[in-house]
Amino acid sequence: MAMHFIFSDEVVLLFDFWSVHSPTGMALSVLVILLLAVLYESIKVGKARLLHQALMNLSIPTSQQLIEEADQDSSSSDSLPVSRSPLRWFLCHFGQTLLHVAQVVVGYFMMLAVMSYNTWIFFGVVLGSGVGYYLAYPLLSMT
Amino acid sequence: MGMNMDMSGGDNSTMPPHHHPTTSSDHSHDHMMMMMPMTFYFGFKDVELLFSGLVINTAGEMAGAFVAVFLLAMFYEGLKIAREGLLRKSQVSIRYNSMPVPGPNGTILMETHKTVGQQMLSFPHLLQTVLHIIQVVISYFLMLIFMTYNGYLCIAVAAGAGTGYFLFSWKKAVVVDITEHCH
Repeated sequence: MAMHFIFSDEVVLLFDFWSVHSPTGMALSVLVILLLAVLYESIKVGKARLLHQALMNLSIPTSQQLIEEADQDSSSSDSLPVSRSPLRWFLCHFGQTLLHVAQVVVGYFMMLAVMSYNTWIFFGVVLGSGVGYYLAYPLLSMT
Repeated sequence: MGMNMDMSGGDNSTMPPHHHPTTSSDHSHDHMMMMMPMTFYFGFKDVELLFSGLVINTAGEMAGAFVAVFLLAMFYEGLKIAREGLLRKSQVSIRYNSMPVPGPNGTILMETHKTVGQQMLSFPHLLQTVLHIIQVVISYFLMLIFMTYNGYLCIAVAAGAGTGYFLFSWKKAVVVDITEHCH
Protein backbone atom coordinates (compact mmCIF):
# COMPACT_ATOMS: atom_id res chain seq x y z
CA MET A 1 0.00 0.00 0.00
CA ALA A 2 1.53 3.31 -1.06
CA MET A 3 1.87 5.56 1.94
CA HIS A 4 1.73 8.90 0.15
CA PHE A 5 -0.91 10.89 -1.67
CA ILE A 6 -1.19 10.25 -5.37
CA PHE A 7 -3.34 11.66 -8.15
CA SER A 8 -4.93 8.70 -9.85
CA ASP A 9 -8.11 7.71 -11.65
CA GLU A 10 -8.03 4.21 -10.23
CA VAL A 11 -9.04 3.35 -6.72
CA VAL A 12 -11.02 0.76 -4.82
CA LEU A 13 -13.13 2.33 -2.12
CA LEU A 14 -14.44 0.51 0.93
CA PHE A 15 -16.21 -2.33 -0.87
CA ASP A 16 -15.19 -4.84 -3.50
CA PHE A 17 -17.73 -3.63 -6.00
CA TRP A 18 -16.71 0.01 -5.71
CA SER A 19 -13.75 0.02 -8.03
CA VAL A 20 -13.05 3.08 -10.14
CA HIS A 21 -11.19 2.99 -13.43
CA SER A 22 -12.10 6.12 -15.35
CA PRO A 23 -12.25 9.89 -14.86
CA THR A 24 -16.06 9.82 -14.92
CA GLY A 25 -16.11 7.12 -12.30
CA MET A 26 -13.66 9.10 -10.21
CA ALA A 27 -15.75 12.27 -10.49
CA LEU A 28 -18.83 10.33 -9.44
CA SER A 29 -17.00 8.76 -6.53
CA VAL A 30 -15.73 12.12 -5.35
CA LEU A 31 -19.29 13.40 -5.48
CA VAL A 32 -20.53 10.47 -3.40
CA ILE A 33 -17.79 10.99 -0.83
CA LEU A 34 -18.60 14.69 -0.74
CA LEU A 35 -22.24 13.93 -0.02
CA LEU A 36 -21.13 11.49 2.65
CA ALA A 37 -19.15 14.23 4.38
CA VAL A 38 -22.11 16.61 4.13
CA LEU A 39 -24.24 13.87 5.69
CA TYR A 40 -21.73 13.52 8.52
CA GLU A 41 -21.91 17.18 9.45
CA SER A 42 -25.71 17.19 9.24
CA ILE A 43 -25.88 14.16 11.53
CA LYS A 44 -23.91 16.07 14.12
CA VAL A 45 -26.32 18.99 13.94
CA GLY A 46 -29.30 16.64 13.99
CA LYS A 47 -28.04 14.97 17.14
CA ALA A 48 -27.60 18.33 18.84
CA ARG A 49 -31.11 19.40 17.93
CA LEU A 50 -32.58 16.15 19.22
CA LEU A 51 -30.68 16.60 22.45
CA HIS A 52 -32.05 20.12 22.74
CA GLN A 53 -35.56 18.76 22.29
CA ALA A 54 -34.95 16.03 24.83
CA LEU A 55 -33.74 18.53 27.39
CA MET A 56 -36.73 20.73 26.74
CA ASN A 57 -38.96 17.76 27.35
CA LEU A 58 -37.42 17.50 30.78
CA SER A 59 -37.57 21.31 31.11
CA ILE A 60 -33.91 21.42 31.99
CA PRO A 61 -32.51 24.72 30.73
CA THR A 62 -29.75 24.13 28.21
CA SER A 63 -26.52 26.12 28.31
CA GLN A 64 -27.74 28.17 25.36
CA GLN A 65 -30.87 29.20 27.23
CA LEU A 66 -28.86 30.00 30.34
CA ILE A 67 -26.61 32.30 28.36
CA GLU A 68 -29.64 33.95 26.78
CA GLU A 69 -31.19 34.45 30.19
CA ALA A 70 -28.01 35.96 31.56
CA ASP A 71 -27.73 38.29 28.61
CA GLN A 72 -31.30 39.44 28.90
CA ASP A 73 -30.52 40.40 32.47
CA SER A 74 -34.03 39.65 33.62
CA SER A 75 -35.38 36.79 35.58
CA SER A 76 -38.75 37.03 33.94
CA SER A 77 -41.09 34.32 32.90
CA ASP A 78 -39.67 31.12 31.66
CA SER A 79 -41.58 30.53 28.49
CA LEU A 80 -40.36 27.02 27.81
CA PRO A 81 -43.02 24.57 26.79
CA VAL A 82 -43.08 22.15 29.66
CA SER A 83 -44.12 18.78 28.38
CA ARG A 84 -42.95 16.18 30.82
CA SER A 85 -43.53 13.12 28.75
CA PRO A 86 -41.16 10.22 29.39
CA LEU A 87 -42.14 8.61 26.11
CA ARG A 88 -41.16 11.68 24.11
CA TRP A 89 -37.88 11.87 25.95
CA PHE A 90 -37.22 8.22 25.30
CA LEU A 91 -37.96 8.64 21.61
CA CYS A 92 -35.61 11.61 21.46
CA HIS A 93 -32.90 9.63 23.21
CA PHE A 94 -33.39 6.60 20.98
CA GLY A 95 -33.25 8.83 17.92
CA GLN A 96 -30.02 10.33 19.19
CA THR A 97 -28.58 6.84 19.65
CA LEU A 98 -29.41 5.86 16.08
CA LEU A 99 -27.88 9.08 14.83
CA HIS A 100 -24.83 8.37 16.95
CA VAL A 101 -24.34 4.94 15.40
CA ALA A 102 -24.77 6.50 11.95
CA GLN A 103 -22.23 9.17 12.86
CA VAL A 104 -19.69 6.60 14.03
CA VAL A 105 -20.08 4.48 10.89
CA VAL A 106 -20.01 7.41 8.46
CA GLY A 107 -17.01 8.88 10.29
CA TYR A 108 -15.09 5.65 9.98
CA PHE A 109 -16.06 5.30 6.33
CA MET A 110 -14.65 8.75 5.67
CA MET A 111 -11.46 7.83 7.47
CA LEU A 112 -11.10 4.69 5.39
CA ALA A 113 -11.77 6.68 2.21
CA VAL A 114 -8.97 9.09 3.06
CA MET A 115 -6.79 6.06 3.81
CA SER A 116 -6.96 5.15 0.14
CA TYR A 117 -4.44 7.98 -0.21
CA ASN A 118 -6.13 9.17 -3.38
CA THR A 119 -5.86 12.96 -3.53
CA TRP A 120 -9.17 13.49 -5.34
CA ILE A 121 -11.03 11.53 -2.69
CA PHE A 122 -9.25 13.50 0.00
CA PHE A 123 -10.34 16.76 -1.61
CA GLY A 124 -13.88 15.40 -1.71
CA VAL A 125 -13.82 14.68 2.01
CA VAL A 126 -12.40 18.09 2.90
CA LEU A 127 -14.77 20.00 0.61
CA GLY A 128 -17.73 17.97 1.77
CA SER A 129 -16.92 18.70 5.41
CA GLY A 130 -16.71 22.39 4.61
CA VAL A 131 -19.94 22.47 2.64
CA GLY A 132 -21.70 20.35 5.24
CA TYR A 133 -20.57 22.61 8.05
CA TYR A 134 -21.60 25.68 6.08
CA LEU A 135 -25.07 24.32 5.38
CA ALA A 136 -25.84 22.58 8.64
CA TYR A 137 -24.48 24.63 11.51
CA PRO A 138 -26.75 27.66 11.06
CA LEU A 139 -29.62 25.25 11.67
CA LEU A 140 -28.27 24.69 15.17
CA SER A 141 -29.47 27.95 16.63
CA MET A 142 -32.74 28.03 14.77
CA THR A 143 -34.87 26.66 17.59
CA MET B 1 9.77 -13.99 13.62
CA GLY B 2 10.95 -14.97 10.17
CA MET B 3 9.14 -18.01 8.94
CA ASN B 4 10.72 -20.00 6.21
CA MET B 5 8.45 -19.97 3.21
CA ASP B 6 9.05 -21.86 0.02
CA MET B 7 9.32 -18.72 -2.02
CA SER B 8 11.55 -18.10 -4.95
CA GLY B 9 13.18 -14.92 -3.73
CA GLY B 10 16.10 -15.40 -1.42
CA ASP B 11 16.17 -11.79 -0.32
CA ASN B 12 12.76 -11.87 1.33
CA SER B 13 14.03 -12.58 4.80
CA THR B 14 12.68 -9.31 6.13
CA MET B 15 9.07 -10.11 5.25
CA PRO B 16 6.79 -10.38 8.27
CA PRO B 17 5.30 -13.80 8.86
CA HIS B 18 1.67 -12.81 8.32
CA HIS B 19 0.61 -13.49 4.74
CA HIS B 20 -2.11 -15.14 2.72
CA PRO B 21 -0.91 -18.51 1.50
CA THR B 22 -2.85 -18.33 -1.74
CA THR B 23 -0.29 -16.24 -3.57
CA SER B 24 2.83 -18.06 -2.56
CA SER B 25 4.38 -18.29 -5.98
CA ASP B 26 3.95 -14.71 -7.13
CA HIS B 27 6.33 -11.80 -6.85
CA SER B 28 6.75 -10.19 -3.50
CA HIS B 29 4.87 -7.11 -4.71
CA ASP B 30 1.58 -9.00 -4.76
CA HIS B 31 2.31 -10.26 -1.31
CA MET B 32 2.74 -6.76 0.03
CA MET B 33 -0.50 -5.57 -1.50
CA MET B 34 -2.64 -8.41 -0.21
CA MET B 35 -1.44 -8.26 3.34
CA MET B 36 -3.78 -5.51 4.36
CA PRO B 37 -7.30 -5.73 3.01
CA MET B 38 -8.66 -2.54 1.52
CA THR B 39 -12.29 -3.59 1.25
CA PHE B 40 -14.78 -4.95 3.74
CA TYR B 41 -14.92 -8.70 4.18
CA PHE B 42 -16.53 -11.17 6.53
CA GLY B 43 -14.23 -13.84 7.83
CA PHE B 44 -12.55 -15.20 10.88
CA LYS B 45 -9.47 -16.92 9.54
CA ASP B 46 -6.09 -15.38 10.10
CA VAL B 47 -7.32 -12.02 11.35
CA GLU B 48 -4.59 -10.02 13.03
CA LEU B 49 -5.89 -7.69 15.71
CA LEU B 50 -3.78 -4.76 16.87
CA PHE B 51 -0.90 -6.74 18.36
CA SER B 52 1.43 -9.21 16.80
CA GLY B 53 0.50 -12.14 19.01
CA LEU B 54 -3.23 -11.57 18.68
CA VAL B 55 -4.42 -13.58 15.69
CA ILE B 56 -7.97 -14.83 15.32
CA ASN B 57 -8.29 -18.23 13.68
CA THR B 58 -11.56 -19.78 14.79
CA ALA B 59 -15.17 -18.71 15.12
CA GLY B 60 -14.94 -18.95 18.89
CA GLU B 61 -12.00 -16.56 18.97
CA MET B 62 -13.87 -14.19 16.68
CA ALA B 63 -16.86 -14.26 19.03
CA GLY B 64 -14.58 -13.43 21.93
CA ALA B 65 -12.97 -10.62 19.96
CA PHE B 66 -16.43 -9.31 19.04
CA VAL B 67 -17.40 -9.10 22.68
CA ALA B 68 -14.12 -7.49 23.67
CA VAL B 69 -14.33 -4.84 20.94
CA PHE B 70 -17.99 -4.22 21.81
CA LEU B 71 -17.07 -3.62 25.44
CA LEU B 72 -14.16 -1.41 24.47
CA ALA B 73 -16.40 0.82 22.34
CA MET B 74 -18.96 0.96 25.16
CA PHE B 75 -16.25 1.89 27.64
CA TYR B 76 -15.07 4.63 25.30
CA GLU B 77 -18.49 6.27 25.21
CA GLY B 78 -18.76 6.01 28.96
CA LEU B 79 -15.35 7.58 29.39
CA LYS B 80 -16.39 10.54 27.27
CA ILE B 81 -19.49 11.17 29.38
CA ALA B 82 -17.57 10.68 32.61
CA ARG B 83 -15.00 13.26 31.55
CA GLU B 84 -17.76 15.70 30.72
CA GLY B 85 -19.35 15.23 34.12
CA LEU B 86 -16.06 15.63 35.93
CA LEU B 87 -15.35 18.80 34.01
CA ARG B 88 -18.67 20.31 34.96
CA LYS B 89 -18.21 19.46 38.60
CA SER B 90 -14.77 20.96 38.79
CA GLN B 91 -15.46 24.26 37.11
CA VAL B 92 -14.00 26.50 39.75
CA SER B 93 -13.79 30.10 38.75
CA ILE B 94 -15.73 32.37 36.49
CA ARG B 95 -13.71 35.22 35.12
CA TYR B 96 -15.24 38.32 33.67
CA ASN B 97 -13.20 40.26 31.15
CA SER B 98 -14.57 43.63 30.16
CA MET B 99 -13.33 45.59 27.24
CA PRO B 100 -14.56 48.77 25.62
CA VAL B 101 -15.78 48.53 22.07
CA PRO B 102 -17.03 51.31 19.79
CA GLY B 103 -20.81 51.54 19.65
CA PRO B 104 -23.14 52.57 16.83
CA ASN B 105 -23.25 56.34 17.38
CA GLY B 106 -19.67 56.86 18.36
CA THR B 107 -20.40 55.86 21.91
CA ILE B 108 -18.24 53.45 23.84
CA LEU B 109 -19.87 50.21 24.96
CA MET B 110 -18.48 47.74 27.46
CA GLU B 111 -18.38 44.20 26.18
CA THR B 112 -18.11 41.58 28.87
CA HIS B 113 -16.79 38.10 28.28
CA LYS B 114 -17.43 35.35 30.74
CA THR B 115 -14.95 32.50 30.88
CA VAL B 116 -15.01 29.47 33.07
CA GLY B 117 -11.72 27.86 33.81
CA GLN B 118 -9.75 25.34 35.75
CA GLN B 119 -6.48 25.79 37.53
CA MET B 120 -3.54 24.12 35.87
CA LEU B 121 -1.98 22.30 38.79
CA SER B 122 -5.18 21.20 40.44
CA PHE B 123 -6.09 17.57 40.87
CA PRO B 124 -9.19 17.71 38.63
CA HIS B 125 -7.12 19.00 35.75
CA LEU B 126 -4.47 16.32 36.20
CA LEU B 127 -7.20 13.70 36.33
CA GLN B 128 -8.74 15.13 33.15
CA THR B 129 -5.34 14.93 31.48
CA VAL B 130 -4.87 11.27 32.40
CA LEU B 131 -8.37 10.46 31.21
CA HIS B 132 -7.69 12.38 28.03
CA ILE B 133 -4.64 10.27 27.30
CA ILE B 134 -6.64 7.11 27.89
CA GLN B 135 -9.41 8.44 25.64
CA VAL B 136 -6.98 9.24 22.82
CA VAL B 137 -5.35 5.82 23.03
CA ILE B 138 -8.69 4.00 23.01
CA SER B 139 -9.98 6.08 20.13
CA TYR B 140 -6.90 5.22 18.07
CA PHE B 141 -7.30 1.55 18.98
CA LEU B 142 -10.90 1.65 17.77
CA MET B 143 -9.75 3.32 14.57
CA LEU B 144 -7.13 0.62 14.02
CA ILE B 145 -9.69 -2.10 14.71
CA PHE B 146 -12.00 -0.56 12.13
CA MET B 147 -9.05 -0.43 9.77
CA THR B 148 -8.81 -4.23 9.75
CA TYR B 149 -11.82 -3.99 7.42
CA ASN B 150 -13.23 -7.10 9.09
CA GLY B 151 -17.02 -6.90 8.93
CA TYR B 152 -17.66 -8.55 12.30
CA LEU B 153 -15.23 -6.29 14.15
CA CYS B 154 -16.56 -3.15 12.47
CA ILE B 155 -20.10 -4.08 13.45
CA ALA B 156 -18.85 -4.63 16.99
CA VAL B 157 -17.38 -1.12 17.07
CA ALA B 158 -20.55 0.49 15.77
CA ALA B 159 -22.87 -1.52 18.02
CA GLY B 160 -20.71 -0.90 21.06
CA ALA B 161 -20.65 2.82 20.37
CA GLY B 162 -24.41 2.88 19.98
CA THR B 163 -25.08 0.88 23.12
CA GLY B 164 -22.60 2.93 25.12
CA TYR B 165 -24.15 6.16 23.91
CA PHE B 166 -27.61 4.88 24.76
CA LEU B 167 -26.68 3.76 28.25
CA PHE B 168 -24.41 6.59 29.32
CA SER B 169 -25.59 9.64 27.48
CA TRP B 170 -28.92 10.08 29.16
CA LYS B 171 -27.58 12.74 31.45
CA LYS B 172 -25.70 14.68 28.84
CA ALA B 173 -26.29 18.36 29.20
CA VAL B 174 -23.86 19.99 26.82
CA VAL B 175 -25.76 20.42 23.60
CA VAL B 176 -23.03 20.57 21.05
CA ASP B 177 -19.28 20.13 21.15
CA ILE B 178 -17.96 21.79 18.02
CA THR B 179 -14.53 20.25 18.49
CA GLU B 180 -15.83 16.71 18.27
CA HIS B 181 -14.98 15.16 14.94
CA CYS B 182 -14.23 11.48 14.90
CA HIS B 183 -14.92 11.16 18.56
